[in-house]
Amino acid sequence: MAGPDDGPHDAEAGACPGRPPRRSFLRGALGAGLTGAVAGAAAGAGAGYAYSSSQAAPPGQVLDATMVQGRLPAVSFHGRHQAGILAKPERQTIMLSFNVTAGGRGELTDLLRTITARARFLTAGGIPPQAGLGAPPSDSGVLGPTVVPDGLTVTVGVGSTLFDDRYGLAARKPAGLIPMTAFPNDDLDPAQCGGDLSLQLSAGSQDTVLHALRDIARHTRGGMQALWRIDGFSSPARPAGTTPRNLQGFMDGIANPDTGRAEAMNSLVWVQPGARGEPAWTADGSYQVIRLIRMFVEFWDRVDIIEQENMIGRRKDTGAPLDANTEFGRPDYTLDPTGAVIPLTAHIRLANPRTPQTEANRILRRAHNYDRGLDAVGDLDMGLIFACYQQDIARQFVTVQTRLIGEPMAGFISPFGGGYFFALPGVRDTRDYLGRGLLA
Amino acid sequence: MPADVRPARPQPLAHRALRWLMAMAGGPAPARAGRVRRDHIVTGPGRGGRVLAGPVLAGPVLAGIMLAAGLSGCGTHTAAGNVITASAGACGTGWRQVTGGMQTFQIRNSSIGGAEVDLINPASGAVYAEVAGLGPGTTRPMRVDLGSGRYAFRCLIQDTGPLTGPVVRVGGQHQGAPAVLPVTTDNLLGPARVYHAYVSAGLNTLVRQVSALTARIRAGQLAAARAAWLPAHLTYERLGAAYGTFGNYDTEIDGRPDGLPRGLSDPAFTGFYRIEYGLWHGQNARQLDAPAAKLDSGVRALRGFWPGMEINVLDLGLRTHEILENALQFQLTGHDDYGSGTTLATTAANITGTRETLGILHPLLAARYPGLAAVNAGLDRLGRLVSAARQADGRWTPVSKLATIQREQIDAAAGQVLEELAPVAAMTEPRRS
Repeated sequence: MAGPDDGPHDAEAGACPGRPPRRSFLRGALGAGLTGAVAGAAAGAGAGYAYSSSQAAPPGQVLDATMVQGRLPAVSFHGRHQAGILAKPERQTIMLSFNVTAGGRGELTDLLRTITARARFLTAGGIPPQAGLGAPPSDSGVLGPTVVPDGLTVTVGVGSTLFDDRYGLAARKPAGLIPMTAFPNDDLDPAQCGGDLSLQLSAGSQDTVLHALRDIARHTRGGMQALWRIDGFSSPARPAGTTPRNLQGFMDGIANPDTGRAEAMNSLVWVQPGARGEPAWTADGSYQVIRLIRMFVEFWDRVDIIEQENMIGRRKDTGAPLDANTEFGRPDYTLDPTGAVIPLTAHIRLANPRTPQTEANRILRRAHNYDRGLDAVGDLDMGLIFACYQQDIARQFVTVQTRLIGEPMAGFISPFGGGYFFALPGVRDTRDYLGRGLLA
Repeated sequence: MPADVRPARPQPLAHRALRWLMAMAGGPAPARAGRVRRDHIVTGPGRGGRVLAGPVLAGPVLAGIMLAAGLSGCGTHTAAGNVITASAGACGTGWRQVTGGMQTFQIRNSSIGGAEVDLINPASGAVYAEVAGLGPGTTRPMRVDLGSGRYAFRCLIQDTGPLTGPVVRVGGQHQGAPAVLPVTTDNLLGPARVYHAYVSAGLNTLVRQVSALTARIRAGQLAAARAAWLPAHLTYERLGAAYGTFGNYDTEIDGRPDGLPRGLSDPAFTGFYRIEYGLWHGQNARQLDAPAAKLDSGVRALRGFWPGMEINVLDLGLRTHEILENALQFQLTGHDDYGSGTTLATTAANITGTRETLGILHPLLAARYPGLAAVNAGLDRLGRLVSAARQADGRWTPVSKLATIQREQIDAAAGQVLEELAPVAAMTEPRRS
């Protein structure tokens, strides 16, 4: 697929603002179909996107009040960090893992540039290009004639397998990126684990994320093949103003670090420039842990409320730690050394002991609920798409999860899939693309 | 594998076959008569081909209106003023504001009949955009990305010759949407004849191979029958663009049990898959005798009727992507593995069938489709990956037994080449020019 070597700075001079680079992983169909017969001369130079020139409102700008009714405004795609990490979980999400089938480094670059271009368009919204008569429509039309941004975020990570011998990237592997390993309570299904690339699409509505998925998949068919997928949702806060609940009925993610505090994010979430042992390109990225966790909700619902709350360490109704009055009250374990109030094995106490020594172990939880039908005995297959971000998987997720081994709550859940990925640094501007630092 | 009028499982070919059957039953003739206007099709859910009644005459009316164009290229021009009229006396009038970039024209049919209005390149006749099936008195939007160049509207009004409106020039440097050089029914008659001959040759081989298969089943030589089954089936699987023309013969020869009340044991389940199921599930010669005889008589009857069967000119373009759409749906998923584990072999045969239609259409596509090289490269890639999955001793691997990465490579290549093939049908749909 490597055509002329479009560097990151080849965006056409004088092109429309927000116009994506003239390059597609897909050299034929959509690209060339749009380029078309009369304009066929362009074909040899890598079939370009023939974008509508009228698309793409500037990030954050509402396109048209009537068009976006009931929809969220655009979330800026460009930035130092990828979107969809610090933001609170959106109402709908699709989490996928892909294996890359691109035939070499050039095709891998094409793939990431294509994902970037699609994400740039989809997150900004606008009118898809007219395919003309020589091709099927360029857009599925699922969102109507104008693509609404609806708060769409596209977050891309790379797995350790991408750094094998296929693409010559072994020397550039993020220092802490390893395949996900099983914990004692896990029951991992290899078909739902790992992958070369993670892709999370989140937005305000299900049609928005499905539209984005169809669009991205259509443009990248030859370059990657989906390995596993799970759809999730985040519940509305009940009651209003509280932290949304998971399907055990407990509020999930109350004790997250404050994303508004840059120093906290720089010490817990983002890989810092010059970080010891890390390749330079990883700066501003973040390690992404995804764990697909079945909850045995029928079993859970048969458990006494006191026992449930003791397993979690919080009140189910208010979310308050068992030793505090409010959701955001801070548990004080020094006053409860024997676990008389909050058992020593309670989830929140093991996960975050709130000592100065364990502060560096904290993670940024970004979980969604999932619900996908029935199991073999007719019980509900639902649970949690646990995702978290951190600077260092070993220091953070693995340390926390190791403390959780054997927690009483483990009997009511079963982790069955997921993977460890490295969420790439953000795409700075219209000339940049996902993974540029990795591939340059 | 493509098989048209198979029950229960809706698939593109089924719709298209219905369209063909409708045509055979004396319904509105498809492409032969030119383009079939959608609203003239009463019953057929089929695709493509539209007819507008009326003689073909009248050259372009070059009024040569030149409108200077301030090119922005980045704005949307709703062109509220650009209401374009199509009537027997006036075609394509109403251009007021003409600038490059995205434009929406309101196309109004002021005549008393149905109309199609195309925006064309007046020099080449290539079409940028169309509004088809425009009822009398109705207005519909036409969206188009106008680049710099010369444009005209052409009106195809029912029972009236084509009219071409004033030529308008759009200035500036903007590269707008591409135009497509129309393909006519006449352009497709030659390719259809070539394909007909290809199928004739294939049917001769098929009859011979099925005869050998049947003889072995009758003789109770089931191991030999298993060996003879695959070559015969693959011969049939290389004829994918003709299944619509085969009509019910296709169901008889290569039908699935899907949708039959008794499934695999339904007496209406006949043909290659029925025999495959028996040969690889321990059925004896007696159980296979009737299905074998029916397959044998079916292919002979088909060969006998074939010289009188006519290929719908729409089919070649449509099948160019549909053959592999069905391979992806039924072969690469393993759906159509009834025991032999040879769906990859079938896929390879389908690739051959696709190449045949592409080759026949090549003279038309070469001038129209810049993605053709990518199509061929994609077919090469898919073909290589499928061949590589064949074992050293020549046996095929069932898709379920492929290594994950191998299967992903094949599926990715199939998906990719299908995207590249998709425009072929749109480009080769016969249009009135």
